[in-house]
Amino acid sequence: MSTKHSKAAEAYLQDDAVVTRHDQTFFGVRQKRDRMAQALPEWEDLREAASQIKKHTETHLADYLEQFEQQTVKNGVHVHWANDAEEYNRIVFDILSSHQVKKVVKSKSMLTEECHLNGHLEAKGIEVIETDLGERILQMMKLAPSHIVMPALHVHREDIGDTFRRLIPDFDEIAKSYKPQDPHDPNDPTFLTYVARMHLRQQFAKADAGMTGANFGIAETGDVVVCTNEGNADMSTSIPKLHIVSMGIEKLIPNYQAMGVFQRFVARSGTGQETTVYTSHFRGPRPGGEMHIVLVDNGRSEIIGNPEHWQTLKCMRCGACMNTCPVYRRSAGYSYTYFIPGPIGVNLGMLRDPHKYYDNVSGCSLCCSCDNVCPVKVDLSTQVYRWRQELDSLGHADPMKKMMSNGMSFLFNHPALYTTALRLSHVVNWMPGALVNMKLNPWAYGHEMMKFPKKSFHQIWKEEKL
Amino acid sequence: MSAKEEILARLRKNTRETYDMPDLSQLNPITYVDPVAEFILKTTTTAGAKLIEKKPSETLNDIVQGIAKTLPSSGQGGEDFLIASNLPGIEAQLNPDTVAEAQELMAADLGVIEGRIGVAENACIWIPQQMKEKSVCFAAQQLVIVLSRDAIVNNMHEAYARIAASTEFFSQYKFGTFISGPSKTADIEGALVYGAQAARAVTVVLV
Repeated sequence: MSTKHSKAAEAYLQDDAVVTRHDQTFFGVRQKRDRMAQALPEWEDLREAASQIKKHTETHLADYLEQFEQQTVKNGVHVHWANDAEEYNRIVFDILSSHQVKKVVKSKSMLTEECHLNGHLEAKGIEVIETDLGERILQMMKLAPSHIVMPALHVHREDIGDTFRRLIPDFDEIAKSYKPQDPHDPNDPTFLTYVARMHLRQQFAKADAGMTGANFGIAETGDVVVCTNEGNADMSTSIPKLHIVSMGIEKLIPNYQAMGVFQRFVARSGTGQETTVYTSHFRGPRPGGEMHIVLVDNGRSEIIGNPEHWQTLKCMRCGACMNTCPVYRRSAGYSYTYFIPGPIGVNLGMLRDPHKYYDNVSGCSLCCSCDNVCPVKVDLSTQVYRWRQELDSLGHADPMKKMMSNGMSFLFNHPALYTTALRLSHVVNWMPGALVNMKLNPWAYGHEMMKFPKKSFHQIWKEEKL
Repeated sequence: MSAKEEILARLRKNTRETYDMPDLSQLNPITYVDPVAEFILKTTTTAGAKLIEKKPSETLNDIVQGIAKTLPSSGQGGEDFLIASNLPGIEAQLNPDTVAEAQELMAADLGVIEGRIGVAENACIWIPQQMKEKSVCFAAQQLVIVLSRDAIVNNMHEAYARIAASTEFFSQYKFGTFISGPSKTADIEGALVYGAQAARAVTVVLV
């Protein structure tokens, strides 16, 4: 009766060393985030402001989208609208093919993952090169991201080194040009990053187009804002002349005043840095170049109508909720069946398709830590709780837990029966453990059942012994 | 109906209650007794950049040529380097205004550009595009950013207020970026490495 998440997590938990490393790595990021929060006296005011700005923008989204489009068109940008993933993929392919593009360099974008753009373009003969180092490693290894901001932290340096040696054609030549600092580790991260740098710079030079996501869109000015540490979004858009931005419609904010709030948050919350190295504002095409923005709905305009779950639209994909989540840290990204893991991924998966992704709602201990770190105050754990209440009506409740819940409900609604059961409850203590902790009782799995006391609180109270 | 009309219609139909924009003037963001000192501290620590305070007796070009001579690519005599810049007074071998292709600037050992706002809280420097090919800001192996100490503000709110009020930024070229130190990554096992795809080192020259 276990969910896919709990089965996958169980398998993952077999290797203590791997789990401990994963847990400590991401808790370290969480601690860095805490230090950032504590260094700013206005932190909680900023969170409240960010939440309110997002609530305002998402509930006036149609107006802001129109304003944004007007501005971008005035700035000389081509704007496209896509109802769903299929339409989005078709638009991007049409832009690329009308420019005879053979090779695209691309910075990280969760939206392109959501729409499976890369596979679509590759099937049509266009080479797509991911340029964020983590994403490039995963692309070469044919793996999916395991985290939305630090997608490849679960991969070990030896495997990265092997992959580079196998798949980067001029690996040896690049390695020769490296001024060795630590020659005795062939998989030293500084060395491997250098190899990737040289390899990726060749790709930037040869690409016909650059693609980026958008961390923010500013309605008042038409800016698209992209934040990176590596500078790969800027390399992707400074060398090729064609720039395509993929942007979910929920990414809009009203103006520069609001941008000040979010710029201060995105890195502090996500990676525990005061800022990303680059915060780039694209307001129009390069001299002699072309800029396109594809605005993608793909379900977002339905989410806004969901009274219980619409606030997930406030999310800015910083990853803070995963870093703090005890379940994410100990089960890792691949245990979830939706491509975005952790608290926000559980919720976004359910909004995408509850019948396909309901397995992930078990991946939550309701500790509520995510609610407390989310910079835009998405009530993540409350939403997970609500989804669990809805599981039965969706037809995905665990039948054994449901039977036991119904039994308990019957018991609690019949006082005489309850009192009798309570009086007899300590008898359970004498039953063989195998019978109490048997597989039929899903709550007994993974922990010992409690010992029932001989006298209940009820009884002690009545005897006035308190 | 076009996709645009469909999306806007769905949004308008599905939006239930609405919320007002908060009053952001009440935020009271962090300020520093000495923003310049804070900027220098953040630049040389968390941002991982170097910083030189220009003396009245020096010229900017002296400082730039001095940095260029120490570059690893400069060869044994310390003369074999390419500087890319369009700033007046800087001796440069490549000019981002006149190169035929942006790719040419990938060969630059040192890009020299001008920042217009410095931010004390996070060492960000606002660099509005003031050259035809902005690849000089990213593709050069190393970067020198020249910044006036009078242009340093406390926090990002103040920086964005200045940008919003300016009629100059974005007027000629429709791009601007905040840069805080060299390009970096921690994508391999979380180990911090400077010099991911863009500049491997940054020197801020305060004038």
